Amino acid sequence: MMPRRFRNWILVWTPVAWVLLALCTYPKDRPVIIDPQIYPKGEAPTVSLMRSIGGFFAPSIGNYPAWIMIALALCAFAFGVTGLVRRSKARTMNLLLLAMGVVFVLWGLDAGGWSGWQAGGRHGERGWLFQTLALVLAALCIYFWARANPERAELTTWNTHQVWKLYRANWQGMVGLCIMVFFALLALLAPFLADHMMLDPNAQIGVPYAPPDRDYYMWLGCTEIGQSVLAESIWSARISLVVGLLATAISTVLGAGIGIAAGYYGGWQSEVWMRITDVFLVLPWLPLAMVLAAAWGQNFWMIIIIIGITSWPGTARVVRSDTLRVRELQFMERARAIGSSNVHIMTKHVLPNVFPLIFANTILVVAIAILSETTLSFLGLGDPLNFSWGTMLNYAWENGAAGLPAWWYLLPPGIAIVLVVVAFTFIGTAFDEVLDPKLRKREESDERAKTRGAATGEPALAGAGGGTALDDKEGER
Amino acid sequence: MDRRRYFARKIANALLTVVLVASFNFILFRILPGDPARLLLPKGKQPPEAVEKQRKAFNLDKPLWQQFIYYWGDTLGGEFGMSFSEKRPVSEVVVERIWPTVVLVGVGTIFATIIGMISGVFAGWRRNGTFDVVTTNLGMVFYSMPTFWFGLLMIMLFSTELRWFPTGRMEEPGADLQGWAQLMSLAKHLFLPAFTFAIAYVGEYHLIMRSSITGVMNEDFTLTARAKGLSDTQVLWKHVVPNAMLPTVTIVMMNIGFVMSGAILSETVFNWPGLGLLSYEAMQKRDYPVMQAVFLLASVAVILANLIADIMYYYLDPRVKS
Repeated sequence: MMPRRFRNWILVWTPVAWVLLALCTYPKDRPVIIDPQIYPKGEAPTVSLMRSIGGFFAPSIGNYPAWIMIALALCAFAFGVTGLVRRSKARTMNLLLLAMGVVFVLWGLDAGGWSGWQAGGRHGERGWLFQTLALVLAALCIYFWARANPERAELTTWNTHQVWKLYRANWQGMVGLCIMVFFALLALLAPFLADHMMLDPNAQIGVPYAPPDRDYYMWLGCTEIGQSVLAESIWSARISLVVGLLATAISTVLGAGIGIAAGYYGGWQSEVWMRITDVFLVLPWLPLAMVLAAAWGQNFWMIIIIIGITSWPGTARVVRSDTLRVRELQFMERARAIGSSNVHIMTKHVLPNVFPLIFANTILVVAIAILSETTLSFLGLGDPLNFSWGTMLNYAWENGAAGLPAWWYLLPPGIAIVLVVVAFTFIGTAFDEVLDPKLRKREESDERAKTRGAATGEPALAGAGGGTALDDKEGER
Repeated sequence: MDRRRYFARKIANALLTVVLVASFNFILFRILPGDPARLLLPKGKQPPEAVEKQRKAFNLDKPLWQQFIYYWGDTLGGEFGMSFSEKRPVSEVVVERIWPTVVLVGVGTIFATIIGMISGVFAGWRRNGTFDVVTTNLGMVFYSMPTFWFGLLMIMLFSTELRWFPTGRMEEPGADLQGWAQLMSLAKHLFLPAFTFAIAYVGEYHLIMRSSITGVMNEDFTLTARAKGLSDTQVLWKHVVPNAMLPTVTIVMMNIGFVMSGAILSETVFNWPGLGLLSYEAMQKRDYPVMQAVFLLASVAVILANLIADIMYYYLDPRVKS
């Protein structure tokens, strides 16, 4: 039977995911807070509350480029068909995956425009409807997967719960998590906290470099052209976090892939991969990133790609050394003996075992990526159309805010960067300690091992990936 | 392992990496969008003859493999072409900027190493004490702080508010000082950039030294030293610190290669006329020949620092020899 906690997770996280996705693409022109000068007193809140709810069903919700939807549809079809052909236990899930693929295709067709379809189109009017359908189907998929594989669902639940229990005891991790939740909310709720119109160069609310005042938008004073520093700081959170996360995704995929390959294949293949890694490791990243950014142009995606391809070697090294450890484990020999292919062993055995390490490392890389984005933006290589904290500091520096001194312009973005980077470092270190039994404090782990052993009769805790525990269980059966 | 074999292997490794990095440099400036001959000329109107001449000068009209050979000849001869913002050979422009960077980085590194290591020793010795908790979290904050932001704060506090230090440059414009006065002026101008440069590394060295002290304190010989009846001070400075220095020194050495990023930011904010400011200016003017030279120089610095770290490791760590 599927564990009840697992079912509750699905019930809770599906609507949360819907709201989060909707907030990501919430229209920029429908804020709750309206300048009282524009709307008369008393009228503004009611009007804008209705407007903000309407924003969740606005045409721009769920409006991703059409090609992303088609790619997702292909993934869904591929997984569904593979599952059906292999006669996997979760038959209902595979059928639902096919249905999800159909929804994605419709979504993509709608986004690209029914007449004259374009791959980059974002024309859909009913994005929120497709988003709802896709999320409900995804939730059902997970539900039926858990119905078909109850013991794996139970193991996942149990592992996650254990990791969370250990994590909660780590005060640094909890501090980091709180800071991160704060900034994530700031980024997601930006349309409700500050009017995007305030970022328009024409929207001047005060004299240049006006100091902080009691008025909401004046809380943090004015920039060199009289814009609200508060509004800029809030909207900057979005770009800084998104660039950091996407660059980390690229860096992790590259680093983990190369690390696993280099560690798994010994001999000359490993030698070649490690030589490439070494070259990238010694390349001074900032001059390299400056050359690339200067030559490839300054836009959102270029910055992400540049940070991604300059930050992977560290991950590759760490993952490789862990892969070397996993390669020597007993079950690897068994897998090879029964004739598993290299790719199968790498994805099904090596990856789950090095996953905890990759996960903890990824969070640390996010901190580095956010710092890198800030640095590049500060040097004037950021996307000029999007505000980020680095861009703000660039404008402040170039217009002599330090000489005034306009502390209200320099401090908010800088403090935000420091807090976010410290938060990610704390979370990463905490996960390192939680997921790696060797690093955990001895007395603590002894205590926990006793209670855990008594409760379940299992010797060791596997990481979030659950690789080792899974294999142990299979071995017992 | 035999000393000569160890050194030969390390040097061969370093040389191979230099070759690969230089080849990467060659590829990098040829996969950039646009005609490399045009990239090597200033923006604006480019008469076809000038482009043709440039192409001849850099052998860009030859097939790629021949270009590669010529590139090696040019690079080994220190020939990087003309800087088109300064209308002088790149090597000349770069060489006169090396000295200020060496001063800044040297002073900053010495400062960071001393402060970071000493605070790390005390933090690791009394782990989870008040001093440890305060300094380690402070070190974490310093480590995660953008260098340039800290520099701006320093300017705001010490130059604008208190007027203790100048806001930038290496010397007063127009002033012709000699001897002691010149040195004092240099020190005054150097303080803020070097401090800003050092502060990120202070955090890092503190954390490394702390964890390495903690590791050594769990070793058996520390217990033996205590059992012999040595005082705390003696155990710490005679037995724990010398052993904990090893990994820290190596990491400091390796970091010296990576100073370029810190130097770029610190020099840009404080207008310090070194290689970092040069690469920032070159980037703004799209002066590719200069960028290429600085990039190569920075990479070679990293490889050299790694090599020195390896060689030092051989003499510091007896385990490598066996």
